Amino acid sequence: MEEATPIVEMRNIKKNFGGVQALRGVDLVLYHNEVLGLVGDNAAGKSTLMKILSGAYIPDEGEILIEGKKAHIVNPWDAHRQGIEMVYQDLALANNLDVAANVFMGREAVSVKLGPISVMDEHHMEQETQRLLDRLKIDISSVRLKVESLSGGQRQAVAIARATAFNNKVTIMDEPTAALSVTAIGKVLDLVRELKAQGCSIIIISHRLEDIYKVSDRMMVLRHGSKVCDTPVTGDIDGFREHVVAYIIGARNDFTEGASEQSNDTRK
Amino acid sequence: MSFIKDVNKILRQNIREWGMYIALLVIMAFFTITTKGIFISSRNIGNLINQTGYIAVLAVGMTLVIIIGHIDLSVGYLSGFLGAVAAIAMVSWHLPVYASISLTMALGVLAGIFSAFLVAQMKIPAFVATLAGWLGYRGALQLATMSKGTIVITNAAFNAIGNGYIPDIPDIGILPGVHKLTLILGVLVILLFIINAINNRRKMSAYNFKVSPMYLFIIQLIFVSALVGGITWVFAGYKGLSWTAVVVLIVILVYNFIMSRTVLGRHIYAVGGNPEAAELSGISVKKITYVIFISMGMLAALSGILFASRFKSATTTAGTLFELDAIAAAFVGGASASGGVGKVTGSIIGALVMMSLTSGMNLMGIDISFQYIVRALVLVAAVVFDVATRNREK
Repeated sequence: MEEATPIVEMRNIKKNFGGVQALRGVDLVLYHNEVLGLVGDNAAGKSTLMKILSGAYIPDEGEILIEGKKAHIVNPWDAHRQGIEMVYQDLALANNLDVAANVFMGREAVSVKLGPISVMDEHHMEQETQRLLDRLKIDISSVRLKVESLSGGQRQAVAIARATAFNNKVTIMDEPTAALSVTAIGKVLDLVRELKAQGCSIIIISHRLEDIYKVSDRMMVLRHGSKVCDTPVTGDIDGFREHVVAYIIGARNDFTEGASEQSNDTRK
Repeated sequence: MSFIKDVNKILRQNIREWGMYIALLVIMAFFTITTKGIFISSRNIGNLINQTGYIAVLAVGMTLVIIIGHIDLSVGYLSGFLGAVAAIAMVSWHLPVYASISLTMALGVLAGIFSAFLVAQMKIPAFVATLAGWLGYRGALQLATMSKGTIVITNAAFNAIGNGYIPDIPDIGILPGVHKLTLILGVLVILLFIINAINNRRKMSAYNFKVSPMYLFIIQLIFVSALVGGITWVFAGYKGLSWTAVVVLIVILVYNFIMSRTVLGRHIYAVGGNPEAAELSGISVKKITYVIFISMGMLAALSGILFASRFKSATTTAGTLFELDAIAAAFVGGASASGGVGKVTGSIIGALVMMSLTSGMNLMGIDISFQYIVRALVLVAAVVFDVATRNREK
């Protein structure tokens, strides 16, 4: 198989907050149609790394390549333009608006434009939203329901649908299963599988190893701002968990870049 | 009994919206009975609308401010001060009416930019920033009216805004004593409403959205038509539609359209619902804050013009407590203190509720101290009702 150009490549990313080194030169690779799990203890640098990719933070050092081309991402808008969407942990939804309004927030369909006043094309937005929900098999009875009346799982689904709605290349999910019931977690994981089946490339941050195990192709562990493990998700859950936890808590620290290349090669 | 079930369901789904209308009807019916019909007379309703005008336009602007999670305490004295500026422009500087009004509106925009600068740029809480405005504009109003105390406005065209009525078509022998142009306008509004409602319903069915049963739809049409028809008849029975009512209607139409149909309105609600989410979606919270406070400044100028015109003068106390009346009207009209929720039509109903209370209790000869207490109770009841229905929805 030909070596594919990764859809995202982050090289030697460094970021300091005051005197604290949040990231000490991290590399990240995401291939087309791949689900990458990103794990690590609190303050390991997972969220910081993803906020850099989504434009919320600017790295002190390092570069980002999107489909092999160097990308200049200094704000969320740049990331949007590059096709990178982040689903935030605290759900970037407006509870007072309905499902369709949330999916189209900031990019409303316009029917007539009169100077500064743009009249919305509500029917178009509602139809498109309904199509999107159907395509992703999301179970919400009406696109006119206000988000505040939805369950936690449904809200997460709307947030994910919203991120993947507009020809995006990469979806980053920050703790998509935190604070959800067991059934809701199952539905969100189904949604991730559905997105992968439809060709999306996804990075998931999670504390819940079994969730990562269920949906990811590959997994990366961060510890104290450095990458300590980058491995395909294989084997049974117990062995996998034991293996990964050792890296998360620092019991194992035998990772080198060479090993990473090797593991990638074996995957192919 | 599917009919009762349907009605029940629709009432429950829209209880927050219907609650206000029902409250307004109950209050009006109560005062009509206690004043033996004087309250509902054409003359009193005409006056009531003209009195509500300068609060209603403020309430519309205040509702928008509350939707994005802020408050504006400065608008009362700003309105008074700008009314005084309009008076001075005409009386002392001998500017024509249109120039005076334009100047006043421009100053309103400036005041809005100033508030927005403090709130959006300097990140000062709106409560504090506009409290400074409250003090400052009060001082400015006293300075402006210091030399004369009361500035009497003699310009007939200007005074007509607050006291005049739209002209009638020439008498053709039918319906003597009734304002015919007002009647014609009322019939036009009813027709437009019915056509619009039928169109909407057809579109919704075409897109496979659920619509209410046919008979309920017809009942709704009849109800609204009767309401508009009744209001029109009451207006037509006195001197017709006042210019104040025309101004307020235009404000309602424009703001309602912007808030419900345009991208700007959607962005305002988004900023109110979740500012971080809005910002991440590429909506500039700062820009929206500027737009909202500039609109508030303009409406304060309009309110000042309506008030000065109604009393044909500018006084030292003009605008006193207007901001609190506007805030109360916005909350009675269904705006939520936590932001993101509120409607233009609601704020108008809220203003009408508060003004009906004042007017009705005045007619009944109730002592002013009790009037304040009754209005306080109504405000509390409205907010409690709002919170209670909101919690039940969740």
